[in-house]
Amino acid sequence: MPKFQITTQKVGNNVTLVNVQGFLDAHTFEEMETTITGLFNEKQFRLVVDLSKVDYISSAGAGVFIGAIGTAQENRGSIILMKPTANVKEVFDLLGLSQLFQFADDVDSAIKIFQ
Amino acid sequence: MTPMGTPASFRRDLRVTSETKNLSVVRDFVSECATRSALPRTEMNKVILAVDEAVSNIMRHGYRGGPGEIELVVEADPKRIAITILDSGTKFDPDRVQDPDMGEHIRQGRKSGLGIFLMRQIMDEVSYSFREGVRNQLRLVKYLGPGGAEA
Repeated sequence: MPKFQITTQKVGNNVTLVNVQGFLDAHTFEEMETTITGLFNEKQFRLVVDLSKVDYISSAGAGVFIGAIGTAQENRGSIILMKPTANVKEVFDLLGLSQLFQFADDVDSAIKIFQ
Repeated sequence: MTPMGTPASFRRDLRVTSETKNLSVVRDFVSECATRSALPRTEMNKVILAVDEAVSNIMRHGYRGGPGEIELVVEADPKRIAITILDSGTKFDPDRVQDPDMGEHIRQGRKSGLGIFLMRQIMDEVSYSFREGVRNQLRLVKYLGPGGAEA
């Protein structure tokens, strides 16, 4: 099982890139939630979440983004989902979230969404 | 031995303790069974997800994060794959849960209540039974023909 890891880095235009690796499920979602809450506490509301190394997501994982995007948008930010794998994108499609979230192919295009 | 090109009929089971670290064990088990069955590759991830959602719900709501045991029984034949999930936690009938309005979910910042919706989206049958003093039983069925439930 790949180890679940989250790292964050500032990428300009007051945007934070959140790199996630592993399975985002009912076992790991709280770690994701804690990371996002911590960024909100630091007034970081423009988040780009790189999902290219997330092999699996369940509703518990997707629920973190559902629960957080409203707060981000209320503070003139958002949560952009970057490069989800086919399996992960399929779950967003099944949940009807693909129309409610914005997706980006790379960091530059994600940053432009905030401009 | 199963003749070439004929999907196997088989029954397998797994018991895990109610700990979220075991979700990956459950997914691996369902993946192995699904690979051995006639389930198309395109449906495999979805069926694994449906079972993960069911087991996650039992861990979170049935046993409320406390100790407990969960048993999975997979029965496959050329027409269907059926996964029966048994537990002794608090009874919980998925039929009583309405499908979510996702826009409203986001407006309210609600993070949960999506697992049953996913199970219904993915599986052809989701049925629940409970008898006092006996275990909860949730049965998920996916038909393998091109017409899904009509196969």
